Amino acid sequence: MTPIVSFRGVGKRFPGVTALDDVSFDLAPGDCHAICGENGAGKSTLMKLLSGVITDYEGQILVRGVPARFRDTRDAEAAGIAIIHQELNLVDQLSATANIFLGRERRTARGFLDDESMEREAARLLRELECPIDPRTSAGALRVGDRQLLEIAKALSLRSDVLIMDEPTSALTEGEVARLERVIARLRGRGVTILYISHKMNEVFQLADRITVLRDGRVVTTVERPATSPREITAWMVGREIADHDFRSRGPRGPKVLEVRRLTLPRPGRTQLNHLTDVSLELHAGEVLGIAGLMGAGRTELLEAIFGAAEPIWTGDILLDGSPVRFAHPAEAVAAGIAMVTEDRKRLGLFPDLDVAANVSLCGLHAAARGGLLSRSREDHLVEGMIRDIGVKTPGPHAAITSLSGGNQQKCILGRWLLTKPRILLLDDPTRGIDVGAKAELYQLIDRLCQDGLAVILTSSELPELLVLADRILVLAEGRITARFTHGEATEQKIVEAATGSQAPR
Amino acid sequence: MDSPATARHGWRLPRHELAILLATAAVYVLTGWADPNHTYFANWAESRDIILRNTALLGIIALGSAVVIIAGGIDLSAGSMVAFSATTCALVLTLCAAPDDRRLVTVGPGGIAAAIAAALLAGLLVGTLHAWLITTIRLPPFVATLATLVGLRSFARALCLFVTKQRWGSESQQINVNTPFFVWLKEHNVWIMTATFIALALLTWLILSRTVLGRHLYALGGNEQAARLSGIRTDNVKWFAYCFGSLTAALAGIFLMADSSVAQPGNLARGYELNAIAAAVVGGCSLQGGAGTVPGTVLGALFLRVVIDAVSKLIKASADVYEGMIVGIIVALAVTCTQFGRFGQGGRSLFPGIRGLAAIPAIAIPLGLLATMAAANVDLLAGRTALFGGVVGAGVLVALAAVRHLQGRRGP
Repeated sequence: MTPIVSFRGVGKRFPGVTALDDVSFDLAPGDCHAICGENGAGKSTLMKLLSGVITDYEGQILVRGVPARFRDTRDAEAAGIAIIHQELNLVDQLSATANIFLGRERRTARGFLDDESMEREAARLLRELECPIDPRTSAGALRVGDRQLLEIAKALSLRSDVLIMDEPTSALTEGEVARLERVIARLRGRGVTILYISHKMNEVFQLADRITVLRDGRVVTTVERPATSPREITAWMVGREIADHDFRSRGPRGPKVLEVRRLTLPRPGRTQLNHLTDVSLELHAGEVLGIAGLMGAGRTELLEAIFGAAEPIWTGDILLDGSPVRFAHPAEAVAAGIAMVTEDRKRLGLFPDLDVAANVSLCGLHAAARGGLLSRSREDHLVEGMIRDIGVKTPGPHAAITSLSGGNQQKCILGRWLLTKPRILLLDDPTRGIDVGAKAELYQLIDRLCQDGLAVILTSSELPELLVLADRILVLAEGRITARFTHGEATEQKIVEAATGSQAPR
Repeated sequence: MDSPATARHGWRLPRHELAILLATAAVYVLTGWADPNHTYFANWAESRDIILRNTALLGIIALGSAVVIIAGGIDLSAGSMVAFSATTCALVLTLCAAPDDRRLVTVGPGGIAAAIAAALLAGLLVGTLHAWLITTIRLPPFVATLATLVGLRSFARALCLFVTKQRWGSESQQINVNTPFFVWLKEHNVWIMTATFIALALLTWLILSRTVLGRHLYALGGNEQAARLSGIRTDNVKWFAYCFGSLTAALAGIFLMADSSVAQPGNLARGYELNAIAAAVVGGCSLQGGAGTVPGTVLGALFLRVVIDAVSKLIKASADVYEGMIVGIIVALAVTCTQFGRFGQGGRSLFPGIRGLAAIPAIAIPLGLLATMAAANVDLLAGRTALFGGVVGAGVLVALAAVRHLQGRRGP
């Protein structure tokens, strides 16, 4: 039988990173084919290629044996390939029906919208998907699970026979997951091929016929499900070289500065599902506490709760030097000596209109001001000192921040926080999207700060990073701590097992 | 992200300011030369006074608009705020004057101080209301200030009727202000307003580029989420920005009341908010927030007023008929010029597809009509105005069609 989709030597390079390298495998029609890999292994990039989001790449994609080169997502849809994104692409203000038929609205003979026929069809599709909603409800009023089924209904109305699902269960309750599994089984019964991207081993092993493992942009292997085990898959996912340098040269750890007890953070408007459940941890001066976990496991939410960046609707205790705190605004956390380097540099960290100096000095301006009046020379002095200290490579303090490399931008943001002289530093995936050399420099910097007595919490999508930096590692999975390791105990294999739940399937 | 537009950051490179200054000088000199009466050269002092007065009035409001825009917001209510402030000022004067004094000549220094303080306080209150609506009720700035744009003027009119009825026994739509202090202000309006404008510009510049608050304004406008996560109390910064916007409008209201010797809430300062925003935008403020300068805004206001004045000299018609059109064209041109590099790059066409085809007559027809109207003032073209307009319109049509054709052949 001709494969419905074949990848032939597909590669994709971004500046400084090889996202995909010589990827080749086949999708058999009617199969449920799972793609596994760590964060950054290239899964999402591969799906963007197949669905026409990314259009320039090396190699070939064959659809039904014919070479295809999609110019945009519409091309891919026309070829019967639809993607259900992690972030759902729905227009909240429009009804479920209108969303299903968006851009392909049916018309009556007179050229008006044919709502009746569209609603009938929408109702039929939704019924088939066990989705008990009124097709006239607006999409914004639907729950996440129903919104996802709406996307699937949209794909079905396009007569797609290849459906890509990118982490479809990351925001679903158990009941919704079970429903989705039934829907997938029914779709396969109709001959729809499903490409299922997930790092949850139990789901993968329940649904998939075949599994392809990606690591660092390359295909490790493609196996039949009965021929393998979750442990084997996780071993393939992580089996890469670990940086041999140990960036830990610290003395004995200092006193306990931060303690979190049974922190539970509900999702707004959801009762069954929490962002965080019963999370407890301790942080001492002079140590790096690593937090591992997949995307959506609650790493960012945990740091934001400590930093006062989200609505303080959590229960439990956060103790700073033994006394309970509940910050309602980051300004309060900053005043208490906490600093946080946020996850998404461009969206949450950088001020693109301000120059390097202003980006660095922003949080420490009071040191350069008297009575609210800024002294430019004192500001420049502070900034130049910090830039030298942490080794930012910039043409000068008044260069545009956007002209710096990602690694140097990140150093600027770290410098911004160091000017506030914090005691606790929260680093949320600080090395994402920066090159290897800059990473090593950041590791050295973090290690030096620790020697000086700073307490650091570090989250990372990259396990080697945690293994070389952290004194202790906590693993979060779906908002709960599933494992705690000391530096000596932790291995990539153990962490991934704890993060994907592959040691004890649900 | 890395376009030259973002690399050219806020307040250090004066290239944009220099360009406006040169354009202003060019318009002034060319008009002085082209105008048959050569008013700008022959009657320099008078022209200077008119332009200075108008620039100061617009500029005071524009500084407030610029601060709000830099902070990533928008204040549409400035014109109504001017009227509201003038009315408040006049009403307090009415209450402080003798009960039968309808010209308000009997107000003492205490009454004058109270009236000015009341007008400025009104500005603070409106600014606070804006900030509350935007930060706590979470209205978009456009909606919150649209509500006060419509509401404040009506409120001022109602207040005017109510207080005059209570005080004088008969309702009045307007209040004449002949208080000696305000008459003195009117007599020296040019220099007092210009001095106030310069002082306010210096103060605004000091705040924006030499204080922590100013830096926080730029940060808020440039990336609100990042600003909050950096520990900046963004809601308080917004409060300041909207209060500053309303306060400058209130200040302009006091001057406008003195200058016209009357507070007439129905018509006073209608549409001023848009001119003020236009001045800020021409001066380089980005409506996305985070970028803009005080010198740019001051020069933007000057440029707008010089061009409006120049057209009134050339067309010999009432300037306010053409004012809106001039402001519209200048804003479109100024912003186009700053983004000009983007056309031509990547084969981006000026008139793509059917939509581009439709845009050609949309530009050519108004230009033809304008040419017809302009021709009516030229003796040489008497009796042939329609012909002249038609030729100009057709010429533009052909020229733009040629541009479209050439770009279509070169592009993909």
